[in-house]
Amino acid sequence: MEAQNYVWEGAIPLQIHLHESEVTTFPPPPPALILAPRIGYLPLLIALIKPYFSSALPPGVDTLWFDYKGLPLKWYTPTGVLFDLLCAEPERPWNLSVHFRGYPANKLIPCEGEDAVKWSFINSLKEAAYIINGNCKNIMNMSQSDQVELWRSVMNGNVEAYQRVSSKLKLGTVEDEYSVKPQQGTCETDTTGQVKTGRIPIRLYVCRVSEDFDDVEDVPKIDSWGKISFINRPVEIHKEEGKYFTLHDAIKALLPEFFSEKTLIESPSQEGEDKNNIPSEDASDSKAEEVVNVCNDVEASSTSNAEIKIVRIQGIEPKLEIPFSWVVNNLMNPDYFLHICLYVKVANLNTA
Amino acid sequence: MFAFRSQEEIAREAIKHALKALRRRHLVEEGAHGPALIALSIPIISQGSEWKEKAENLETELQQCYKAQSRLSEQLVVEVAESRASKALLKENESQIVSLQEELTQSRDECSQLKADLEEKIEALELIVSENHQIRAQLEEMIAKAKNAEAENKMLIDRWMLQKMEDAERLNEANALYGHLIDQLKASGLEKLARQQVDGVVRRSEEGAEFFMDSIVPTSYKHKINAHEGGCASILFEYNSSKLVSGGQDRSIKLWDTNTGTLSNTLYGCLGSVLDLSITHDNRSVIAASSSNNLYVWDIQSGRVRHTLTGHTDKVCAVDVSKISSRHVVSAAYDRTIKVWDLQKGYCTNTIIFHSNCNSVAFSTDGQTIFSGHIDGNLRLWDIQTGKLLSEVAAHSLAAVTSISVSRSGNIVLTSGRDNMHNLFDIRSLEVCGTLRASGNRVASNWSRSCISPDENYVAAGSADGSMYIWSISKADIVSTLKEHTGSVLCCSWSGIGKPLASADKNGVVCIWA
Repeated sequence: MEAQNYVWEGAIPLQIHLHESEVTTFPPPPPALILAPRIGYLPLLIALIKPYFSSALPPGVDTLWFDYKGLPLKWYTPTGVLFDLLCAEPERPWNLSVHFRGYPANKLIPCEGEDAVKWSFINSLKEAAYIINGNCKNIMNMSQSDQVELWRSVMNGNVEAYQRVSSKLKLGTVEDEYSVKPQQGTCETDTTGQVKTGRIPIRLYVCRVSEDFDDVEDVPKIDSWGKISFINRPVEIHKEEGKYFTLHDAIKALLPEFFSEKTLIESPSQEGEDKNNIPSEDASDSKAEEVVNVCNDVEASSTSNAEIKIVRIQGIEPKLEIPFSWVVNNLMNPDYFLHICLYVKVANLNTA
Repeated sequence: MFAFRSQEEIAREAIKHALKALRRRHLVEEGAHGPALIALSIPIISQGSEWKEKAENLETELQQCYKAQSRLSEQLVVEVAESRASKALLKENESQIVSLQEELTQSRDECSQLKADLEEKIEALELIVSENHQIRAQLEEMIAKAKNAEAENKMLIDRWMLQKMEDAERLNEANALYGHLIDQLKASGLEKLARQQVDGVVRRSEEGAEFFMDSIVPTSYKHKINAHEGGCASILFEYNSSKLVSGGQDRSIKLWDTNTGTLSNTLYGCLGSVLDLSITHDNRSVIAASSSNNLYVWDIQSGRVRHTLTGHTDKVCAVDVSKISSRHVVSAAYDRTIKVWDLQKGYCTNTIIFHSNCNSVAFSTDGQTIFSGHIDGNLRLWDIQTGKLLSEVAAHSLAAVTSISVSRSGNIVLTSGRDNMHNLFDIRSLEVCGTLRASGNRVASNWSRSCISPDENYVAAGSADGSMYIWSISKADIVSTLKEHTGSVLCCSWSGIGKPLASADKNGVVCIWA
């Protein structure tokens, strides 16, 4: 619960600048400072942003879109994911430019407003349901009021309301002995009855970097979406005796091409007090690392020297040995998808 | 070497690590920025909400104000309209008042005027009424006076009439006396005569009796004279002689000796054609009636015109002179008058007006009565003194009388009419004592003259066919027809000595029959 609360409460400070091409007043309006929920979507912020800039806009119809350092931002991706993906070194506040005119229809899918975002969310939900249950009956049979309440709870960040509705969907949680079981009676009965160990919907965002880097601040800027690959593959959790399914396992399952038999992930130095743990954990896995490195070195030709540099979920970089089931249950987005951002170093960018 | 941890420991460590990372993230992201943004926005929000509230309040106030204003403006419109209406009404009323005042003053003036007039009229009326009374009184006086005057008048007339009647009675008495005396005279004369006859000596001492001879019925003509050109309308013999006087169209009067048939004298001076002739009993004067409205009196011996009698206004168609006095001449003209003239005085002494024109006149033997024959066929008798109509006889019914001849004795009058009949009247009774007619005898003109023989046995008349007819009175039949004239015979005359008989025609030829 605690983690879920953190996830639902998470918000990214944005400093939103009106793009200079659309400034019609002098002096230009100051940027708007906004906290954008991580689990929310950028178009939903129009109500907060518009008042700041409405007086400075040139005449016309508003078509809202954002860009980060020239890169138009995809609106159906949760804000948190975008941040984690595009800012290797987290930039707080995140400086975005907002546009009200000149929607780049050749680069972005059109977004007509809040409803478009809602339907995109529902669509993701259906997709997740399908992956989990094999059908999305429960989503399609959702009553109008449930739908509305579900969406509203997402927009408002109301986790209790969300759980009330989402529990009816019987999308189940992964059995996870590590998470704090939910305490509501109804939910408990639901979840205990619907525990599945099945397929997990995953959205994997892989950012390929051509050069090696040691520090996040050295990560080169992403200037086109071409450098990012989107992988929508579910992960099946295999229960092995004596061993729990780790995050690492999941990633391996998702990107087998980046791993030969064993992968070696070089975790960047993390801030805070976990630094101490890392070496120990590293030590425990050092063998594995070495192996991976060796493997990497050995199989450079087969894997084209891919190296996973950063794994980010919900703004944190969990240890790779963290139980995947905990990750799924606690860090998934309201659309029942787990969004994972990956920074991978590839020797040459030609690899898929 | 480090201790081999169990999977579970590793897992839990990883989870703890993740949680810590989440917490750190929270602190860095929303934990740090959230409160700051909130703190920044609070005043804005509060202000915003304040402003919003204010704005809302003001808006509601404004709305209320608008509502109030609209209500007020509606009211105002209504009020303005009403006030306008009132003003208009007021103006109307004012103007009405003014006009009414004017009317009132006018009426007052009129009223006072009328009063004044009325008073005047009343005064005038009273005046008139009094005058009326006065006049009425006067009228009554006048009426009374008039009545008196009428009564007086009547009385006077009555008295006058009475006087007149008394005068007339006296006159009548005088006349009666006179007549009586005359009768006595006559009676004495007759006595004388009777004595004479008884004496055996027939003394024809009656007036004119010495000349009495039997009339001889002529059988043929002795002379045929072209006497006048144009026609001879009138001939007559001198008293008891065979001298013939003729007057014609040629304005001359010729005297003929019928024994020889020669002209002995001609009298000039007539200005018109001679329509009728008359000779005084002493054979000294000839009177001619002329178509020139005049009568001319000649003295035969001198041959000069002694009188011209003027007064008629139309042609004079008949003339006769009194046998007794030779002074009185009667003439008839087509101006419907019969005039009596006094030759000594030289003018007309009496004029008789009658509606029917007179064709022929004749004096009675005593000279007191005039016989006139009119176009209406009546024979009338007039008193010469008074000019009054004495009697009237229908001589010829519906035919004009053309000739009147008085017999020598004065007892019989012969009238000829256009009905081609010749009537003999007894003078005293005015009854027809004989009618003579003939089949071929047609009276030629309105003034064709017939005559009686001196012995009163025969009547001679000319005809339009130019023949002379002679009737016997006693036989009442034709005894002789004398044809010689070529033109219609206009007049004839029988000499007082019994012969000859003379006739004249339209051609102016005079035939002497013996």
